[in-house]
Formats: sequence, C-alpha cells, structure tokens
Amino acid sequence: MTAQTGLGAVAVLLLGIAAYVSLFASPPDAFQGEYVRIMYAHVPNAWVAYLAFAITFAASVLYLWKRRPAYDHLAHSATELGVLFTGLALATGSIWGRPVWGTWWTWDARLVTTAMLFLIYTTALLVRGLSDDPLRGARLAAVIGIVGFLDVPIIHYSVVWFRTLHQPASIAPGSLKIAPPMLLALMLSLLAFTVLFMYLLRLRTSLARLEAGGEMR
Amino acid sequence: MNGFLRAAAVARKDLRVEWRGRQTITATGMVALLMILLLGFVVGSEPARAAAILWVAMGFAAVLGIPRVTQGEVDQQALETLLLYPGSREHLFWGKCAALTVMLSALLVALLVLLGVLFGVDVWDHGGALVGVGVLGIVGLSVIGTLLAALVLHVRGRELLMPLLLLPLALPVVLGCVRLTEAILTGTAAGLWPAVLVSFDVVSVLVCPILFEVVMDEV
Repeated sequence: MTAQTGLGAVAVLLLGIAAYVSLFASPPDAFQGEYVRIMYAHVPNAWVAYLAFAITFAASVLYLWKRRPAYDHLAHSATELGVLFTGLALATGSIWGRPVWGTWWTWDARLVTTAMLFLIYTTALLVRGLSDDPLRGARLAAVIGIVGFLDVPIIHYSVVWFRTLHQPASIAPGSLKIAPPMLLALMLSLLAFTVLFMYLLRLRTSLARLEAGGEMR
Repeated sequence: MNGFLRAAAVARKDLRVEWRGRQTITATGMVALLMILLLGFVVGSEPARAAAILWVAMGFAAVLGIPRVTQGEVDQQALETLLLYPGSREHLFWGKCAALTVMLSALLVALLVLLGVLFGVDVWDHGGALVGVGVLGIVGLSVIGTLLAALVLHVRGRELLMPLLLLPLALPVVLGCVRLTEAILTGTAAGLWPAVLVSFDVVSVLVCPILFEVVMDEV
C-alpha cells in the first residue's frame, strides 16, 4: 500500500468516525436543535477552503521566486480544491441559514467575503485555462493568487463595516462557548476534512505533474 | 534620464494619445452616464442614493476603461518596442498608472457635477472633500487596474475577465468610497473608512509594480 492510499484510508476512517460523532453521539443544540449538525460539515469546509487559499498564496510566491514547476502544480491544485470547498461552504452555509436564520442568504461580512473569494479564485482558474501559453498561464494565476490573498483581509473588514449580522466565531481563545461533546464533534470533523484535503491535494498535485510530463513529450 | 522622468514620459504619451482620440474617456464617460441615468431612474434619485450610484457607475467605467491602458500598444503592435526601451518595467507601470489616474479623476469630476444636477445633492460646497476621497479611491483602482490590464493582455476573452477580476478585488475601494461620499454629503463621521482606502492603496502600491514585472516577462 502506498503512502498515498494510506492517507486516503485514514481520511475515510476519520470521516466515518466524525460522521458518527456529529450525527449520533453529540447532543442537539439548545437553540438550533438538530440543525447544528450541518455546522460539523460547514465549518470544516470553510476552514479547508481558507487553508487551500493560504497554500495557493505560499506556493504562488515560491513559484514566482524559484520558478520550479512543482510549486505551480501545488498552487494550481490548491486553487482548484479551494474553489470546490468554498462552493461547498457556501452551499452548506445556505442550507443551515434557511432554518436557523430564516434566510438562504444574508449580506453578512463572512458570506460576502467568501463569495468574493469564490469569484476571485474561479477567475484565476479561468485565466490559467484561457492563457495562450501554459507557462504564462501559470505565472498569471500565481499573480492572482498573491493579489487575491493579500486583498482578503481588506475585503473582509470593508464588508464587516458596511453592515453585518453573522454570529461571532464560536471558538475564541480564552472563552469557550460550546459544549464539550459538540466541540469534540467539531474538532473531529475539522481533522477529518483536513486529512481528506491533504489526500486530495496530493492526488491532484501528482496528476498535475503527470499532465505536465505528458505535455513535454 | 531617471525613473521619474521615464514614468512621466510614458504618462505624457498615453495622455497625448488619449487627448487626440478621446476614445477611452468618451466610452467610459458614456457608460458611467448611462449607469447613473438607469440606476437613478430605476431605484430613484433621492440624494441618499447618490453616493452608491456614483461609485457603481465609476466601478463599471473603470472596468471598461482599464483594458484600454494596454490596448493601444497591442493595436499598434508597439508593446515590444515599449518594453525594449531602456529602464525598468516599473517606470512603465507608474507612467501608465499615472495616466489612468488622471483620466479616472477627470471622469469623477464630471460625474460629480452631473450628480449635483440630477440628484440635487450639494456637491458644490463639498467639492474639494469629494474629489479628495475619490482620488484616494482612484489611486487604488488605477494601481490594481494597471496590473490587471497587463495581466489580461495575453488571455483569450479579456473583456470578460476584466470585470471578473477588477470588481471583486477592488470591492473595498467601491465600498469605502460609497461610505465616505455619504459621510461627506450628510456631514456624519467617516469612521475607519479612510484607513480602509489607505491600506488598500498602500498594499497595492507595494505589491502591484513587482507583479507587473512578472506579468510583462516574455515567455
């Protein structure tokens, strides 16, 4: 069994445990009831999306600096996965928001920032695909990966101050506002999704490497 | 010839070409005018809506005008020549950025006058502050816009990509200018918005020229 497959097996195992704990072993929320269980999928999706864009940023900087194709493969793969998980975070958030907030969508800061991220990185993929030369496409996508990531905090605060309603983050240092079994479910889900993401990222990166090798020949 | 003079030469060239043809300013001006008329008619022309409508119009005008920054060189096949001139690409960046800032600022002044007429807002008394806030936003728009204009040069469907790139990236500029314009018109506190615009400008000014050189590299 290769390390790759091993990582995939760990991801599946962790996802199974996390699904059991979040769906059966943890109690319903006092206010949100059973809907809180959507959070155990929503929060990890959003976390993985942000993680993916952070990796895109780091890999893009390294690529423009060292010009080694491996960094570009990593940046490309992380962007794709980031867009996927951002889309999932937006969808699960909407599904949760409908019963709990009473609306599919609200003009809240984190929602708008996430939607903007989705657009910026989708466009980065578009620019890469529509570029007249794969090398240039890699460079242009790296530029967008850097500008986009540096812009995120400014976009976020500008949207926060424009108007906002989102509940404050549940896990703030010093003040834990969440029951231990629910925290366990959340932490397990976060771990499971992170391992899943690592697995998919490795898979996608090696595919990008193989594709690039195929084009050379 | 130092860097400043080189940048000034590029800016002067771009502005002279624009002055002779007046294509960009006419096209962007018409789009902005159309947006203001349409939005003013559809959502109503109460003075309270003026700021939002002004900056949505500015945003769309910028989307249309910014690709023109490099379009002239592409049409005349002069980009390679321009890149061959001695000196850093950064001077080219600042020259093009300065020309764009001048054009967008001229557009803003014209739109403010129009707003005063159509929306009955008091732009005359606050003219200086309104233009000042606007230019703070326009600098950010121009810096990131110059980078994006170079970025979409070698990409198919660049007219489609410009709004997709510029509008999300420059969202803080639009939001900040809307709130600051409102604050000036109603005389309320500006809050932290000047800091948003300034930090956007500072980050763009530090990062975009470096990335411009990467974008302008030959394959």
